[in-house]
Amino acid sequence: MKRLLILEDGSIFKGRGFGAANDATGEVVFSTGMTGYQESITDQSYNGQMLIFTYPLIGNTGINREDYESIDPTTKAVIVKEFARVPSNWRSQMSLDEFLKIKKIPGIAGVDTRKLTRIIRQHGTMRGMIIDAEDDLKHAFDQLKATVLPVNQVAQVSTNRSYVSPGEGKNVVVVDFGLKHSILNELNKRNCHVTVLPYNTTAETILSLNPDGVMLTNGPGDPTSIPTVLTMIQGIQEKLPVFGICLGHQLIALANGAQTFKMKFGHRGFNHPVKEIATGRIDFTSQNHGYAVDANSIDKEKLLVTHIELNDGTVEGVKHRYHPVFSVQYHPDAAPGPHDAAHLFDQFMELMDAWKETNKNA
Amino acid sequence: MSIKSEVEVVDQAAVKRALTRITYEIIERNKGIDDLILVGIKTRGIYLARRIAERMKQLEGVEIPVGELDISLYRDDVHSSSATSEAQINGSSIPVSIEGKQVILIDDVLYTGRTIRAALDALMDIGRPSKIAVAVLVDRGHRELPIRADFVGKNIPTSLEEQIKVGVEELDGEDHVLIQKLIK
Repeated sequence: MKRLLILEDGSIFKGRGFGAANDATGEVVFSTGMTGYQESITDQSYNGQMLIFTYPLIGNTGINREDYESIDPTTKAVIVKEFARVPSNWRSQMSLDEFLKIKKIPGIAGVDTRKLTRIIRQHGTMRGMIIDAEDDLKHAFDQLKATVLPVNQVAQVSTNRSYVSPGEGKNVVVVDFGLKHSILNELNKRNCHVTVLPYNTTAETILSLNPDGVMLTNGPGDPTSIPTVLTMIQGIQEKLPVFGICLGHQLIALANGAQTFKMKFGHRGFNHPVKEIATGRIDFTSQNHGYAVDANSIDKEKLLVTHIELNDGTVEGVKHRYHPVFSVQYHPDAAPGPHDAAHLFDQFMELMDAWKETNKNA
Repeated sequence: MSIKSEVEVVDQAAVKRALTRITYEIIERNKGIDDLILVGIKTRGIYLARRIAERMKQLEGVEIPVGELDISLYRDDVHSSSATSEAQINGSSIPVSIEGKQVILIDDVLYTGRTIRAALDALMDIGRPSKIAVAVLVDRGHRELPIRADFVGKNIPTSLEEQIKVGVEELDGEDHVLIQKLIK
């Protein structure tokens, strides 16, 4: 089936449809990762976005049962140069095409994804639409321009009800803004007893559970669209160790007076070098964010910048100056991506230990 | 005395993380780094103090003075028979006045507390700081004096038969904490 990808700047890319046959509208973003398409497509941080893979062949190891980052992905569409019709891997359960059909996500193949990426790098992130080749183009462009992208993305992807992922060790509350399963995996691996709560949980509810620490997860969209969360963070940050990832990081910054801004085309991929300022250590990190914390807006009396991205100098990590609160913009859970930064979960465990010791003595 | 077993309980990466966390905790609790002096206790404490100062410099762009203290003269558990040979100051130096400053004593292992007590005596001989805190990489318990650490890298409960051995990169080629069990 011949299909088209149109962008709001007037670009038209011809391709062939695969996956689900429906039309889709969303923000068009690119990931430079060469592997991990299953993790990326099922990552809720891509909620409402049409995901371009710059790597030319996607789907050659199929879809397996271990690598889901969420059960019901909300990625709007998948844009590839070529998709593998016949996957080959011992873990493979189905092809990418079959998976996208089941999850009702349309795909388009045969697009020069590198050219498309260059356009986006130049113009910034744009809205786009996938339509049938026979559709009325003028009408489609009018529709595209009239499209208002949703702002309640976190509410769409966060869990509605609390649940527990049991363990024997530390009691950790995870506030779900679009939780990746790999975060739960990392915590369970460290024997934590994890309680996952909806995004709009209050500070009182969290404190009433008496956890050893709180994790704020990744998630989609603009951090300023969920202001109630900031009150929650202000309510817990003096009382408990807090570790934020991605959207959680932006929310911690906002709760402490900093500003966030929408980046031109974001960081999505696994090859982002990040420097830990205190030690000079450089990790290659897995990233997926379209917003970032504005370095100039940071109140140095409240937050310390602890990590920076080396390519463009964006803030990649902060720590509260007076509270046991730290966060990173990238994904130490590394699914997909390099495992350089997994030590941050150990750091969180050690912080909870130290916090407990200190308060016992005090 | 021969070594029965040796187990690495803290590896290089974890030692580095612990030092970074202690750095952050010092900044947290001192409400900034003004009037701060780090004093390392010979020998490994000095290297740890320098590393914490280096982290603070990277983070805050401020050079924190680092002093060195040799407390062998003041130890009260060195028996008189050997006191004369032990009692020597191996060039302790604190580059600035500690008068009215916040001093953080840094050592590798906190055990009986006698080293810290001796360090407090040595500091008091030099001046009168406004506050003294203690940071250690390992707290192994078995205190004999009412002393506790304000900043701890890792609590390692030990038995008296065990020995804790801290290695630092500058001196031992690698950062690590080992537990050695001895046969008498």
